[in-house]
Amino acid sequence: MKKNILFILSLIICLTEFSCKKDFLSKTDPTRVGANDFYKNEAELGQAVNGVYGQLQGIINNQWLYNELPSDNTTIDFNPGDRGQAPSIEAFEFWTVNSGTGNINSMYVSYYNALYNINNTLAKLNNATTISDSAKAGFKGQLEFLRGYYYFELTQYFGDVILITEPLEVPSKAWDYERAPQAEVYAQIETDLKDAASMLPAKYTIAADIGRITKGAALSLLGKVYLTEKKYTDAVTTLQQVPPLGYSLVPNYADVFDPQKKNGPESIFEVQYQGGNDLGEWSSFIYTFAPRLSAGAITGWPQSNPGGWNIPTNDMISTYEDGDKRKNASIGLDFKSPITGDVVPYIKKYDHPHSIYGRTDDDWPVLRYSDVLLMLAEAINEATGPTSEAEGYLNQVRNRAGLANISGLGKEAFRAKVLHERRVELAFENWRWFDLKRTQTPDQLTQFLNAYGAVEKANPTVTRQGTPYSSGDYVFQSYEVLYPIPSNEILVNAKLTQNDGYQ
Amino acid sequence: MSKILFHFLQQKNKVFLFMLSFFLASFSFAQQKITVSGNVITEKNAPLAGVSVNEKGSASGTATDAQGRFTIQVNKGATLIFSFVDYQPKQVVVNNESDVASISMVPTASSLGEVVVVGYGTQRKRNLTGAISTVDVSKLKDISSANVTRLLVGQAPGVTVKQTTGSPGREFQVTIRGTGSLGAGSAPLYVVDGFPVGTSIGQNLNPDDIKSITILKDAVSTAIYGARGSNGVVLITTKSAREGEVTLTATADYGIQNVPDSRKTKVLNGVEFAQFKKDAFMDKIRYFENREPTIDEVPLDYRYPEQTKYSTNWFNEILNQNAAYQNYNLALASGKGAIHSLVSAGFLNQEGTLINTGYKLYSARANIGGQVNKFITMGLNIDGSYSTQPQANATEGRDQIVGASLIMDPRAPVYNADGTYNNYIGGHDGVFGFYNPVQMLKEAAKNYTNTNAIANAFLEFTFLKNFKFKPSVNAGIYNASYKQFVPSTISGENAPAPRDASENDSYSNRINISTDQLLTFNKDFGDHHLDVLAGYTAQEETTKDLSGSGNQFPDDLVPYLNSAIIKSSGSDEYGWSMQAFFGRLNYSYKGRYLFSGTFRREGSSRFGTKNKWGDFPALSAGWRISDEPFMPKLSWLNDLKIRGSWGMTGNNNIGNYSSLSFMNSSNYVFDNNYVSGRVVSSFANAELGWEKSTQTDVGIDLSALDNHLTFTAEYYDRITSNMLLSIQLPAISGFTSTFGNVGKVQNKGLEFSAGYRQTINAFTVWGNANISFNRNKVLAIRGVNDEIRSGSFYSDFNVSKVGRPIGMIYGFKMMGIFQNQAEIDKWPTQDGAIPGVYKYWDADGNGVISYDNKDMVEIGNPWPKYTWGVTVGADFKNFDLSVIFVGAAHYDNFRNIEASTLNMDGVFNVLEVSKDRFRSEAQPGNGWVATTNTWKWERESNSRYVYDATHTWVKNISLGYTLPKSKLPINNLRVYISADNLFLFTKYPGNNPDVDSRGGINPGFDDEAYPVGRTFSIGANVTF
Repeated sequence: MKKNILFILSLIICLTEFSCKKDFLSKTDPTRVGANDFYKNEAELGQAVNGVYGQLQGIINNQWLYNELPSDNTTIDFNPGDRGQAPSIEAFEFWTVNSGTGNINSMYVSYYNALYNINNTLAKLNNATTISDSAKAGFKGQLEFLRGYYYFELTQYFGDVILITEPLEVPSKAWDYERAPQAEVYAQIETDLKDAASMLPAKYTIAADIGRITKGAALSLLGKVYLTEKKYTDAVTTLQQVPPLGYSLVPNYADVFDPQKKNGPESIFEVQYQGGNDLGEWSSFIYTFAPRLSAGAITGWPQSNPGGWNIPTNDMISTYEDGDKRKNASIGLDFKSPITGDVVPYIKKYDHPHSIYGRTDDDWPVLRYSDVLLMLAEAINEATGPTSEAEGYLNQVRNRAGLANISGLGKEAFRAKVLHERRVELAFENWRWFDLKRTQTPDQLTQFLNAYGAVEKANPTVTRQGTPYSSGDYVFQSYEVLYPIPSNEILVNAKLTQNDGYQ
Repeated sequence: MSKILFHFLQQKNKVFLFMLSFFLASFSFAQQKITVSGNVITEKNAPLAGVSVNEKGSASGTATDAQGRFTIQVNKGATLIFSFVDYQPKQVVVNNESDVASISMVPTASSLGEVVVVGYGTQRKRNLTGAISTVDVSKLKDISSANVTRLLVGQAPGVTVKQTTGSPGREFQVTIRGTGSLGAGSAPLYVVDGFPVGTSIGQNLNPDDIKSITILKDAVSTAIYGARGSNGVVLITTKSAREGEVTLTATADYGIQNVPDSRKTKVLNGVEFAQFKKDAFMDKIRYFENREPTIDEVPLDYRYPEQTKYSTNWFNEILNQNAAYQNYNLALASGKGAIHSLVSAGFLNQEGTLINTGYKLYSARANIGGQVNKFITMGLNIDGSYSTQPQANATEGRDQIVGASLIMDPRAPVYNADGTYNNYIGGHDGVFGFYNPVQMLKEAAKNYTNTNAIANAFLEFTFLKNFKFKPSVNAGIYNASYKQFVPSTISGENAPAPRDASENDSYSNRINISTDQLLTFNKDFGDHHLDVLAGYTAQEETTKDLSGSGNQFPDDLVPYLNSAIIKSSGSDEYGWSMQAFFGRLNYSYKGRYLFSGTFRREGSSRFGTKNKWGDFPALSAGWRISDEPFMPKLSWLNDLKIRGSWGMTGNNNIGNYSSLSFMNSSNYVFDNNYVSGRVVSSFANAELGWEKSTQTDVGIDLSALDNHLTFTAEYYDRITSNMLLSIQLPAISGFTSTFGNVGKVQNKGLEFSAGYRQTINAFTVWGNANISFNRNKVLAIRGVNDEIRSGSFYSDFNVSKVGRPIGMIYGFKMMGIFQNQAEIDKWPTQDGAIPGVYKYWDADGNGVISYDNKDMVEIGNPWPKYTWGVTVGADFKNFDLSVIFVGAAHYDNFRNIEASTLNMDGVFNVLEVSKDRFRSEAQPGNGWVATTNTWKWERESNSRYVYDATHTWVKNISLGYTLPKSKLPINNLRVYISADNLFLFTKYPGNNPDVDSRGGINPGFDDEAYPVGRTFSIGANVTF
């Protein structure tokens, strides 16, 4: 009997051996890196910072929808046969965005997801002991810049927004936050950008760092923030620190967008992409922007099925002064619809030959030196009037475009001139909507847009082939200077308030 | 293997025959006594062993041996009583030996003496205190089934079995006592010969190998499976040799399958479609330009509809009518001697009702086991199978062949004049272009294979008289492969061939190992009976996947990745582990008071670090009132028992790593060089645990009229809480959702089942009927939020709201069709509406029908008020007949396909009923088919596409004939004819009211699935 029991015992041990391991019940996905064990050293913290940069691409890929399409710069290549995109994309063109508009929700979500990774990486950096102080400061500055940039965009879109600068310990804490007044948001942006400017280098000495955020980027954005806040003196003093950092305008305007000449002397901050390989970092803007029926005529790849979004308007096309070299570099007028025979204009800035279908190499310019020069002109004019310094900045930009100097304008006229110059210089670079919001009161903007809308409605840039407009199309109401908080967010957190005018 | 079996078979005559034969020497009463020998057989002429044979009023008695033989000495003229569990007792007056030469015994309807397989053991049915249904597989053997789950249809109360697709070989959808979970799935756990194989039985288990199926429904039965028990458990036992018999059984079944015309969706033919296009074109000018168009304005292609050259019914073209069904099985069983063994092999070949689809299964099984010595019993079971499935999973719905065949241009021929395929259907005059579905089915290779090997082994030690210890191991190896090659000749939707050919290959290997250690104690103390089980189990599963895809082939000749110019590949690995300690105690006093308690403590790798282990207790009690002395002895009542149970179970189907947070790739470029970056995937939740179900069950079992009638009624109330749900988070947290344990769902219901069996002379009738009422209700979801909505625009929606059933069909409520502009102006603003457009209800009353969810309401209830099943049969002499009816009443399906087949804008072919559409106020049509002038509101989820799917199926009729005993060396020969899915009675317009393509919390979705065929088959079953 004893023998039997011993035999049984040994059998139990033998059979259960596979389950006797101490960690039998702790399994993790072998194909992925666990978040718990990450952020251990400089290399991993660096990867986390790169990850934050990586999310920038996703945000920039769709930014035209929020920053350019609602403006007078662009419209759509209307598709009478497929109304599927009407609620999600066309709403931005026709100003019929509501709190349920899917792209409002997805935009909101993508910004706060990016902010989570910034906040989380900053928190991990603060506790990191295995990283040099200089590396830490560099990472911190880059992350703070991006946090400032995202909050700047968010507060332009929504006004008061929830301000969150730390990763949540537990998800339930998310219900504790309410929208912060815009002033607080600006204060945070200023703090972040000042801090970033103090820590970031003017230039990266190691080539492998080219494309990272610099001191110049932080100062330029801070200047833009001050300008938006109408803190003109601060804007001037901040922006004046940028030219000494060594930026210059490239002689040929089209070179600014040439993938062969990325991160040139005029570039202050651009979002990096890479085509021509399988690494997944390509851009594809031209596939979104080329006319719907252009197939390969513009992209160069016959199997293309382009989106026909963000089409330059008649209003935009006619706004260029005669002899402005930027017109040809910015807008293509060489494509005719095979159905109607009409010219369908398209944005040329991001149209360059590429070796693999669907994968372009074009970067996206966020901050350029010409933007800084025009901001300086604007800020000086607002602070002290159209001084010769202000004129000088404006004329630098005009001269490069092959246009004559301007002088002797009054403050109002100079302001209008700078705004016009910004429109053509920075066309389709996602600044027009904010420029319009910044330089006009909501009532002025309402009047302005409805006037533009009436013209576009009467004589659309791209024909609608008889499809009538809906009654709400191209009717702008002043509350629409802000986007609605996504209804989904209010559903989840009832404490969240909606912007006036929206349901 | 076969050598070993052969060896055992040779020992067959050695020992362990249950034979008790004694010859009473009679000296003193020789005059009055006679010695008689006889045979006891079943109604099917099989010998019945172990039958008690007693002389009435005397102590003398004996029992039959393995061949059913007995010899007894009795007084001449005495009455012999034959009794055996599950059989009606028989009394015979003995005058001479011929009176007992052949005693035929008939089973009772109730099988109270029957032993039922329960979790980790068996129990006498008489003593059950839980809700357990058994499926009498022997009654279902004629069904042409390629999957085991087919056998469950209509057989057990509380068990809903739906054939959601007619795709050959596919598992049916099985739900026990309602959908209990919003997030973790509601499929039961399947256990085959003690091996928990998961929430899917898979495709490869040969239905012919099944001996019995037991379904555990209430908590006291399922709690012993702990965190996998809450959706019920299906226990499947495979065949083994019968004691004392050596048999060779061969079965053959051959059938043909058809899709009856009544189950086809009717669309326009070529001429009608051209007319439709023409009218639509002209109506547009009439409406928008307010003038009469001239014939020359109509595009030439449909200017003269009567001249349309071709008319193709694409759905008919893709059908493979008279598809063959073949099933052959051979089993050799030896139940003689100490060691029993069985080997079987099967081949099943089911052609699909769509061309070039089908399912083939090759299976082999062997088990061997028995008493090694006084202390040790052992068993070994091996099952190997291989199946192939061409065109698997590539046929269902609008975006696949079946749906597309309804909406593609009927004016195109299948073949060109030169006999080649017309490879692009439509694609002109504003009609969408499609691949040729016939060519797709014939030329695009899409093949699944499954190769499984499953082995179980156990040893059982008997010691200290009442103790048994049984360690066992189970292992399953499952290999699956998929290979798809779409040649360049196949068009895409709106993309004419030639196109880039593509190849997709994948291979997965899953290994599942479990071990059980069971210690049992079993003893009677006078009137007290005690049954104790203590056990330990551990299980681990690991799956590895490898996949590759290729593009840009130089030609279509070599469909392998090697010849692709662009290739990509991937690999994956995932798994889980669990371990548990459990125990069960059954106690009964005089068989009158019954108690049972179980407990399981289980840990799972899927749960958060702070919540690894859970406890699952359950209790039950039963009271056999009929045995109480105070109960009057009623002649009609044989047995009456009431019982109740309560317990907690769990559901761990939340994905393997849901509690963890990972780093996702988010790469970037610096200085035109790729750099790797990482971002956080989600919140970790260390407290994530199992979903809990608490179930209370009360039942009554009775047996009456000499056990001819049995009846069971059951009430249950199951509350599932701590559901594993994705909780929506404010986006500012960084994420939109995280997994949490929240929410509550209730399923409560009533189940009734009755069985009847009566034999009058050579005529036996029998029947089983069951009906189930289940009500489910969401009691809570999350704190702030109170609904879960799933679905999307241009498709369906389901909504689960607090206080309402799970997954109600959701959308706009259609109030009619706008007849004129005045009506539109009076109605709340519905943007873009013109006469002929669906008129929707302004649910939120704000004066605007908004193009989002705000005006959507519940528009259909996908849950039947009741479901039922009736199986009736009759045996007359050598004939046997059985009929299975099943049905479900008062529930809705959402005909999502109608958003396409009633898409009136001319890009698709449309339903025949579209001829009766709205054309103008003067020609308003039937009142529910919209205008062709615009198309927007009609494509969204709305009440027009909701249909009552109440139905009755005559699921199977089988008629068999058993040949009388003859001189042939055949023990038993039975031939039969059988019809499966014979008649469907329903007003539902789709081809299958059981369709539920999405299941779970998205019930009732019908996007035109693979048609369910009707099968007629003939078969034979020979036993040597």
